[in-house]
Amino acid sequence: MSSEINGQVSPQPCPHLLDFRSRNGFKPFRAFQDLIRVKRPGGLPAIRREISEVPRCCTCEESSRSRLYACVACAAVFCYAPPLHSHASAHALSNPGHEIAIDVDRAELFCCTCRDQVYDRDFDAAVVFAQTVTITATTSTSGCTVMQCNIAGFQPENLRKRRRVDNRPCSPDSREHVIIGNHLFSLHDATNASLISSTEIPWGLRGLNNLGNTCFMNSVLQALLHTPPLRSYFLRDRHHRYYCQQKNGAINGTKSSRLCLACDMEAMFSAVFSGDRTPYSPAKFLYSWWQHSANLASYEQQDAHEFFISMLDGIHEKVAKEKRKSQSPGSGDCCSAHRVFSGILRSDVMCIVCGFTSTTYDPCVDISLDLEPNQGVSGKSSSAKSHNSCNVEADCMGSNQNSGISTLKGCLERFTRAEKLGSDQKFFCQKCEVRQESLKQMSIRKLPLVSCFHIKRFEHSSIQKMSRKVDRYLQFPFSLDMAPYLSSSILRSRFGNRILPFDGDEQDASNELSSEFELFAIVTHTGRLDAGHYVTYLRLSNQWYKCDDAWITRVNESIVLAAQGYMMFYVQKVLSYKASEKQAAS
Amino acid sequence: MKHSVNRPPTPDGVVDQGKEPTLQEIINIKLIESGEKERLMELLRERLIECGWKDEMKALCRAYIKKKGRNNVTVDDLVHLITPKGRASIPDSIKAELLQRIRSFLVSTAL
Repeated sequence: MSSEINGQVSPQPCPHLLDFRSRNGFKPFRAFQDLIRVKRPGGLPAIRREISEVPRCCTCEESSRSRLYACVACAAVFCYAPPLHSHASAHALSNPGHEIAIDVDRAELFCCTCRDQVYDRDFDAAVVFAQTVTITATTSTSGCTVMQCNIAGFQPENLRKRRRVDNRPCSPDSREHVIIGNHLFSLHDATNASLISSTEIPWGLRGLNNLGNTCFMNSVLQALLHTPPLRSYFLRDRHHRYYCQQKNGAINGTKSSRLCLACDMEAMFSAVFSGDRTPYSPAKFLYSWWQHSANLASYEQQDAHEFFISMLDGIHEKVAKEKRKSQSPGSGDCCSAHRVFSGILRSDVMCIVCGFTSTTYDPCVDISLDLEPNQGVSGKSSSAKSHNSCNVEADCMGSNQNSGISTLKGCLERFTRAEKLGSDQKFFCQKCEVRQESLKQMSIRKLPLVSCFHIKRFEHSSIQKMSRKVDRYLQFPFSLDMAPYLSSSILRSRFGNRILPFDGDEQDASNELSSEFELFAIVTHTGRLDAGHYVTYLRLSNQWYKCDDAWITRVNESIVLAAQGYMMFYVQKVLSYKASEKQAAS
Repeated sequence: MKHSVNRPPTPDGVVDQGKEPTLQEIINIKLIESGEKERLMELLRERLIECGWKDEMKALCRAYIKKKGRNNVTVDDLVHLITPKGRASIPDSIKAELLQRIRSFLVSTAL
């Protein structure tokens, strides 16, 4: 019943709509285009003959019904509130050809005979046009291109080089076969020091010694060591310390030039994937990182997220200094760290007075999410439970539990929700030329290869001069579809989920890689803000392993699901290695 | 009550002399004409989104659609599903706020 146009599903019209269209030819809804009123910028479109008309049903003269429909054939308004008052259906029944109507308060098409909403591209285009005309009122536009180019936010951009990720199959020649054969060794010979009893020990699993409150570093390193794109980058010798040091030695032999976090990272990858199972001490890496982030160099416990950011920054700085060419921010061409983690966030700020929207793009290496505030939806669960009028509802409430559990999806939905900025945060509107109250909405313009979600559990209040940790449990999925949080989806829903007329939108092209992600690592925190411990859970070969500094144990997925997530790492499904699904079959 | 001022516009072709507008009707028209209804709707929308009510209703609809199958659900089904539940689960604070706003509006228009 639905067809796909450029990846977006659009519902098939019902027979009555098809009939109406065939009888009314070109621009069947033209008569209604002028009646679409948008009371304020960003507001919902309505159908009115005059702006302040009070629509009422022709038959019963009621104006306070919740659903009133205007027949597209004769423009008469009827109410629709089955089973008692449904004069719209009566009208459709007695007048063939008058089945299609428009909801006067929502500007949505409805078939009174099928008793369901129907969708039409031309109609939606007209509504979107009416909505945007109020926003871009002063800009002069040429008639035909206005929908393509000037819809708020859809400015065409220069075609950027699309970053393709091609996993080419490896086909070694005979010489390479020999080399591979000589260097492969069986995992079954692996020595002791791990608490895994089974013989099927995944490649690259190795404990990290705690060098003095360094669990914050160990936890993040474990996650990075098993980040698929990063792993292949370093194991394929894309950055090798030998060549890097040679190059640095040639340029200038100063100590600072020899400092390279990427080299230390590469050394660690080699050590961890060597097959040796004794716990590894990342002392060299710690030392290098201390030199880079001198302000964090101490034996005190640090914040794992802060370490993550500073580490990526360190890798980037060193590489960017060498490359010295200007890269477009967010493209990820600058260094290995950004190639893997860098995405682009889009921020739309709309003036609520005139509708002028200012759009900015910012690269990001992770997304920091707020947990919802504690008051939430109080007092609702008790009243809702008493209304179990149909069996379905029991299931529905079950899926939402006490409506008090925070979920990662809920956090993402809140992150991309339109937020009204307070009157103390007035935004300077270029059109009004004065500070106005505004509406801000975030969305993801480009997804990174690996998404890191950081949950803001540590609150520091400078006003109250105290810091506290939020222990609230957060539910997270193993598979996550990021499609609803993309800019294209957010913008589409801003217009009320209309079928939008821009096909082959360039923005979608950069997200042609699937928006489906898989969880592969999660950094958890237990304890208090000043005395706590970080532990990482890794997913390898469809098994979960707990990495607690030097101790690695296989755990059940229920333990992982119950853990208190602080940083969650999701990789694009197409990049998660097939080997990790091997065990799923057994 | 001044009939000539409060009488709603007669629909096309129908002259109805017997019908008196109800109080509810009069209030509704006053709310719309002054623009207060629009403001109240906006406020309500904002509050219901903030407290998570909209997300809850969305989740209910999604679960229902998942169960019945996307092609077997109509808008009417969804309306029947969430209307009782939705009405019952509106937080009291929101109800109180809106009632207060309506009350002050009625006082100010000196009905």
